[in-house]
Amino acid sequence: MTISRRLFVKSGGIALFSLGLDPLFLARAALTSVRPSARPPDRPVLVCLFQRGAVDGLNMIVPHGEPLYYRERPRIAIPAREVVDVDGHFGLHPSLAPLKALWDNKSLAAIHAVGSPDATRSHFDAQDYMETGTPGVKSTPDGWANRYCRHDREHADTPFRAVAFGPQLPRVLAGTAPALAIDDLQAFGLRVPQEAARDRLTRAFEQLYEGAATGLLATSSREGFEAIQVLKRINPSQYRPANGAEYPPGRFGRALLQIAQLIKADVGLEIAFADSGGWDTHVNQGSSEGQLAARLRELGLGLAAFARDLGERMQSVVVLTMSEFGRTIRENGNSGTDHGHATAMLALGGPVNGGKVLGRWPGLDPARRFEGRDVAVTTDFRDLFGEVLARHLRAADVGSVFPGFTPAPERFPGAMRA
Amino acid sequence: MGTAAVWRTGGRAVGTALIIAALSASPPFRLSAQGLSPRDSALHALNRLGYGPRPGQIDSVARLGVLRWIERQLEPERVRDDRVAQRERAFRLLEYDREELAARYTEALQERRRMQREMARTGDTTRPRGGGAGAGPMREFRELGGELQQLAVVRAALSERQLREVMVDFWTNHFNVFVGKGADRFLTPSYIEETIRPHALGRFEDLLIATAKSPAMLFYLDNAQSIAPGSVPPMRRRMPPPPPDRMPRGINENYARELLELHTLGVDGGYTQQDVMEVARILTGWGIERPQRGAGFAFHAWAHDRGEKTALGVTFPSGHGMDEGVRLLKLLAGRHATMHHVSRKLCARFVADEPPDGCVDAAVDAWHRADGDLRAVLRAIFTSPNFWAPQALRSKVKTPFEFVISAVRAVGAEPDDTPRLAQVVARLGQPLYLQPAPTGYPEAQADWVNSGALLGRMNASIALAAGRLPGVSGNLDAVVPLTTHHAQLTDLVNERLLGGAMSARTRVVILEQLSSIGDPQQARVLAVGLALGGPEFQRQ
Repeated sequence: MTISRRLFVKSGGIALFSLGLDPLFLARAALTSVRPSARPPDRPVLVCLFQRGAVDGLNMIVPHGEPLYYRERPRIAIPAREVVDVDGHFGLHPSLAPLKALWDNKSLAAIHAVGSPDATRSHFDAQDYMETGTPGVKSTPDGWANRYCRHDREHADTPFRAVAFGPQLPRVLAGTAPALAIDDLQAFGLRVPQEAARDRLTRAFEQLYEGAATGLLATSSREGFEAIQVLKRINPSQYRPANGAEYPPGRFGRALLQIAQLIKADVGLEIAFADSGGWDTHVNQGSSEGQLAARLRELGLGLAAFARDLGERMQSVVVLTMSEFGRTIRENGNSGTDHGHATAMLALGGPVNGGKVLGRWPGLDPARRFEGRDVAVTTDFRDLFGEVLARHLRAADVGSVFPGFTPAPERFPGAMRA
Repeated sequence: MGTAAVWRTGGRAVGTALIIAALSASPPFRLSAQGLSPRDSALHALNRLGYGPRPGQIDSVARLGVLRWIERQLEPERVRDDRVAQRERAFRLLEYDREELAARYTEALQERRRMQREMARTGDTTRPRGGGAGAGPMREFRELGGELQQLAVVRAALSERQLREVMVDFWTNHFNVFVGKGADRFLTPSYIEETIRPHALGRFEDLLIATAKSPAMLFYLDNAQSIAPGSVPPMRRRMPPPPPDRMPRGINENYARELLELHTLGVDGGYTQQDVMEVARILTGWGIERPQRGAGFAFHAWAHDRGEKTALGVTFPSGHGMDEGVRLLKLLAGRHATMHHVSRKLCARFVADEPPDGCVDAAVDAWHRADGDLRAVLRAIFTSPNFWAPQALRSKVKTPFEFVISAVRAVGAEPDDTPRLAQVVARLGQPLYLQPAPTGYPEAQADWVNSGALLGRMNASIALAAGRLPGVSGNLDAVVPLTTHHAQLTDLVNERLLGGAMSARTRVVILEQLSSIGDPQQARVLAVGLALGGPEFQRQ
């Protein structure tokens, strides 16, 4: 099996390190011989979507089988007849109806009661913890996705290995491994209006850095110019989604479209990251319609379009949604919800153990709530992320991605098909 | 105010106890042994102690003598800074003290709540006209946030007291707070003006105590919420308990941990988790007044843990209240591990990402001798052979902030009063006061050099050369006059913008690019843009 062979290669490399040989080089060389058949299209891809502001997991994946849910949320609960039922107990928010087909073909799962062991209800702290992968430790300098890229170096030969869609690199990808922040594929590169002048200037800078730069300046600039070349070849402005897929308008839909495009272009994308905002529904959250419904509609339409656009390619792609915490079980005085604890996350893709609500559901019984008011966390988010890294990206050493924590297979929520 | 000097900035007095250092007429160190030309050493000092040379500055520093210039930088109160004083008058932020900012923030919150209530009542979830910013307090408060960032840009670009600005940036980063977190939105301006700036070249101990008492830090690292278990605020005893997420529940160790790990001893500074817990107990009660009362520092005796504590092997007898914390901070400031940790960081900033032991040891020695006088520590670094070693020259990659400011300075331009240039810095990856992690922004090149960031720098360079960089104005003619003679143009660019650092290869590439261009304006844009966006200018 791949994992154990890779572990063997890795430990062998470490043993040889004492003889003065570079373990990374050896691991890479060994891997090329172990997996020569891994054609680029089979390369697994992980897409992380961060719902900033703390999504209300209870109205996203609705426990409509629990009377307490309706008692605690007289104004904002989703009426049982409008929930898109999946197993008689849980159902999808009606805005997520476009995802029902993916649920039925078992490529979409929800993981409920997932979250952080840290009790903070600060967006700032909790997002930070989820991105660094170190709950409770504020001084972690880098993000877990970057640490993964640093430890598993075999794909380090492409500038597109780890890409965040947005103006700045998010915390999750910050660190010493190369990662790109791209606001817009079409605008990546030098901003000169005429193509001929732009090409010329690009070549000039390329020559400057080839000649005079050393070390990181040299490698990073080379990656940048390679990326420009690649993007010129795949020509983002001409992209048309396949299979009649229609992405929702707005930044989020646009980010998903560009991720799909990079995946199909076979440029070596392994981890993509995009943000989605507007989940902090303290006031007038709405029920089947309203504020949260509108945000979920964009999410549902976006994911459905993404899966449709990628078609067969979804066999090697996993999309994982995440959010810093959940919201209070009881609605507040403003027909909204306040900061809570556990939430729900979605996993979509061919490798996903879909058609199920995973995770141990603690129920809404006051005695089993966190601090008497919130859904308790039964799955540490690092066990979920760790499972995806180990079983989908086939990470050699998940422990090093989450310092101070060892993701354990017996605690994995089972989001990936065995 | 007694003997303290009074600093007038933008019509607002900042009381500052400035230590007047003894004038050292003859610097103790000679550069000739290092074999650097006067211009090379001037450029190196301008790059490291400041944000790079403005036009003509390499020559003026070389004429003055670089060590003399360094001595003057160590005594900023003796350096005239009229241009900055004039520019600061446009910043309303400097006219408001913390109380007033707190009031404005409260107004902005009230406006937002009104709007939310309105939304809840009407069921209209779309943002009201005007982009949700409102016309009044919310908008004004956002503008003040932009001023905060831009003020740092203007000072760095224009101040004659370059070292002071660099040290303000260093300490702001060392004692990082995040302006996006709750009350820090209105606490950060006074943190910069009253906590960091007056102490930037003072004594470390004073600076450490000032940050420990600053509402911005107390809020950012949650010490304001840290209370002895079971203690209840006096006024709350008769009131219904606040919602659980608002109610402090006991000891919060965040500040205590970062105080030891980041601010003082360093992660290998020889302390234990037990020490962290004891330090947190000592600092219980260090809190903030309510915003309605100005949100100043307050010691809440009711929240203080009254038991005996033992931290770092030292016993703190019970019953000394706030004095326990002051004693602890002085103890930390005087520890060798603190001196080493902070000196190493200073050397990473001024000498090399991985600083040689020599300059670190020299800084620590000076620290011991001068009892934490930061000028003595810095002087030791600037006169250390490591600082002037050939391998130190141009060995560090500029951070995005350093890159933008040095480019603007190189072409003799000025940032305007809008936050646009600060936004350029943000787009290149270093939004000011917006680093959420208490580590602050990293110093090493590995964290700043990546392909997207480099392309961003190239674009900014071309835009600056073409006079299109937002928020900047200047007259390039005064620095690089128009000429149809390409070799002359390239030589001018090398001498005036790169301080003579242009490689032969870069010269050839620029000349090649210019060969087909007849228009002198276009030729200059290209030569200047390539020089600022090229590899030489990324280094300092």
